[in-house]
Amino acid sequence: MIAQLKSELLKVRSTRTTVGLFAGMVGLTVLIVLLTGLLTHPDDLVSKHDQRGLFAPSAVALIFSGLAGVLLITSEYRYGTIRPTFLFTPRRGNVLSAKLIAGLLTGLVFGAVSLSLAIGIGSLILSARGIPSTLSGSDFAVLIFGGLAGTALRGAFGVGLGAILRNQVAAVIALLAWDFVVNTLVFGLAPSVGRYMPTPAADALMGLKTPHLLSPGAGGVVLLAWTAALALIGLALTLRRDVT
Amino acid sequence: MTAVVAESLTKRFGDVLAVDDLSFTLQPGTVTGFLGPNGAGKTTTLRMLLGLTAPTSGRSLVLGKPYTTLDRPALSVGAVLEATDFHPGRSGRDHLRILCRTVDLPDSRADEVLKIVELQTAAARRVKGYSLGMRQRLGLAGALLGDPELLILDEPANGLDPEGVRWLRDFLRAFASTGRTVLISSHALAEVAQTVDQVLIITHGRFVVESSLHELTSRVGGSVRVRTSKPEELKEALHREQLEASSDQQTLVVRGANTDRVGEIAFNAGVPILELVAEGSSLEEIFLDLTSELSS
Repeated sequence: MIAQLKSELLKVRSTRTTVGLFAGMVGLTVLIVLLTGLLTHPDDLVSKHDQRGLFAPSAVALIFSGLAGVLLITSEYRYGTIRPTFLFTPRRGNVLSAKLIAGLLTGLVFGAVSLSLAIGIGSLILSARGIPSTLSGSDFAVLIFGGLAGTALRGAFGVGLGAILRNQVAAVIALLAWDFVVNTLVFGLAPSVGRYMPTPAADALMGLKTPHLLSPGAGGVVLLAWTAALALIGLALTLRRDVT
Repeated sequence: MTAVVAESLTKRFGDVLAVDDLSFTLQPGTVTGFLGPNGAGKTTTLRMLLGLTAPTSGRSLVLGKPYTTLDRPALSVGAVLEATDFHPGRSGRDHLRILCRTVDLPDSRADEVLKIVELQTAAARRVKGYSLGMRQRLGLAGALLGDPELLILDEPANGLDPEGVRWLRDFLRAFASTGRTVLISSHALAEVAQTVDQVLIITHGRFVVESSLHELTSRVGGSVRVRTSKPEELKEALHREQLEASSDQQTLVVRGANTDRVGEIAFNAGVPILELVAEGSSLEEIFLDLTSELSS
């Protein structure tokens, strides 16, 4: 299991795919914090809610962690490396478990970098514009802990989704459509249901206080449940299906 | 212990019976050609042996156990199913190091096998820059990581240039000469005829022939061309051994025997042999006859 995890982590590091995603996430995070921090009217950066919105890695880190997770497994099916992988480790449950952990760790790194950039650059902008920080230590704790847990779970979420769909293009489109279309639509039309969708749950986990969101704890449980459900379905299918 | 046992292996894909009740046994130290036209069920059979595809019915044992229950099977079985199973953006060495990690082999083992397959100079390059022949060899390198006693290769000569085919043949001979077992599939008998000592021929998922190459040649009647200064005497000698020969002046064509047999008969009859050749195309003809007979 440890051996398999080492192998999975080397897979992540040995191509430019994850590095490219990471660079994309860093670039977008910086761009969004700069634009939000510099262009927003000072009156709209004062409340706790506004400042959380500025610091939270939210959409960008969550999307990129999910994509990294999806690619971690679908690239094996796309390029056929799944065959040598299963020949060396025929216990497919071990392979998928190692990939889920690799997805968690990748998401964790993405979240840590995104949070550091957003909080670092965002704080600099606030102090440069003379806007006082209104978030307490415990607010930051929820933001950071929730942000890391959210992006880590999203990495594993992506692995689960990829294990179910296998086809890389289909899985990437499914992830993006789910995040941008389904989550947004359901949350917008029926927030009492939509708040149980993965992305609003991840927002809640970071302590965002958008109306209708769950509490951070409940958001964490809901996101964990989604991730576990996808992982278990992915595992069951991976164990059953033929590899051709 | 037998190297490979297949017991009534059957695989059905919807209405198509891809593999139909195949049973065979491979003894250790043998080199077996698993032959048949494209679509005969060879790859499906190999995938079932290696636990990638579940048989509809029947079972198989590799080194005494179902493959999926072997502990770290890569240390005793090396297998390559596709020549193209690499991430194009990853270096050859990293591909092998990734496999090493899963079975706790040191990274240095990756460099050792790269040397065996003569890829050490390309090791750091991304696989997308590799030729098909280089990819075939990288796949083989992956199979060799665990220093296996059984090698299973699906169409390893596909896409190789003549030099690559010769390299592969020499490699497999050297591998087999150490008493290890090889199962190699091919759609062309001639490709493996010089490497294998027994053949399993299938078409439409069923066996047509399961025999040694030697037996196959004599049983189905491969031909031998022999030139002699005493064609009439040789023809008589052959006739006494129940062998028919057609003659054209000094040259006889003998069906149903191999060069060993014809040479011995000539020697016993005191007939000088000027030239003795196994007809090169005969094996391929046998193969085509066998595989098309059943399909018609």
